[in-house]
Amino acid sequence: MDANSIMKPNDLFSINIFGLSIPVSDSIVMMWIVMAVLIILSLVFARNLKTIPRGKQNVVELVVDTINNIIKDNLGHHWKSFAPYFGTILLFLVFANMAGLFSVLPTAEELYKLTGNRFFEGLPQFSIAAPTKDLNITLGMALMSVTLVLFAGIRFRGVKGWLHSFLEPSPVMAPFHVLDFATRTLSLSLRLFGNMLAGYIIVEMVYEATVFIKPILPLASFFFDVFDAILQAYIFVFLSSIYIKEAIE
Amino acid sequence: MASGLVAIGVGLVMLTALGAGIGLGNAVSKTAESVSRNPEASGKILSTTLIFATMSEVTAIFAFVIAVMLVGKV
Repeated sequence: MDANSIMKPNDLFSINIFGLSIPVSDSIVMMWIVMAVLIILSLVFARNLKTIPRGKQNVVELVVDTINNIIKDNLGHHWKSFAPYFGTILLFLVFANMAGLFSVLPTAEELYKLTGNRFFEGLPQFSIAAPTKDLNITLGMALMSVTLVLFAGIRFRGVKGWLHSFLEPSPVMAPFHVLDFATRTLSLSLRLFGNMLAGYIIVEMVYEATVFIKPILPLASFFFDVFDAILQAYIFVFLSSIYIKEAIE
Repeated sequence: MASGLVAIGVGLVMLTALGAGIGLGNAVSKTAESVSRNPEASGKILSTTLIFATMSEVTAIFAFVIAVMLVGKV
């Protein structure tokens, strides 16, 4: 673990399209894996839904009801337009933050050192970690939420009401309302990123200290990869819904 | 010499955690107090506390990100 490289994305390969070369870092690959898991889970769980739930359908209804209740508590009677978006964000963030649990799996370099097999030597350096420990991904999520706040304000208040909301307590506050869009993006993205990076660094330090028992010690990351992961995903959704409530009312 | 000063700066930056810790401690102690006074409102108290706890926590997170950026310069 190197302090210089810890915040930089580790580019695995690049996609060439229209003469542009787009580098793909390992956090993007992790994000694709999380997306694939979520798509497969939704395909498995959402098949033949019935009016009277049985078996696995009970689990899905519990999850959907919980998400709907969270959004209903925060947003009031406009919850129905925003519940699908927030449910997606919440599920994605919970799964993405909890991906760090699998960091005990050996990387290609470790497998090569262990087995001496030439096949593992040429593989790219891909290590499993939570994709949200990359600032680019959390910044993307925060930009999505702030854009939604902007458009929800215009949609629910009309252009005139939205413009008038900038002058609401007094016209002196108008620059601060504009500044809010930047500070909200910054604080939403940096909060998630900082928490996940801190958890990643501490767990890596514990693994480096206990290198011989690494495979049997996934519990070292339990606090950061389960408790903190779910809490941070909830806080992200919670703060976004509060911003939206402020914008539409 | 210069990198040593940067290292001292990293340590000073992380002193922000002191303020965030005191703030969080105050918020949580008042939460416990108000929940024990009025147990029916515990849900609302908890969610309100969560907002302000994250707001005081974010100062420590900013300090941590700055510290990680500075450690790369040592």
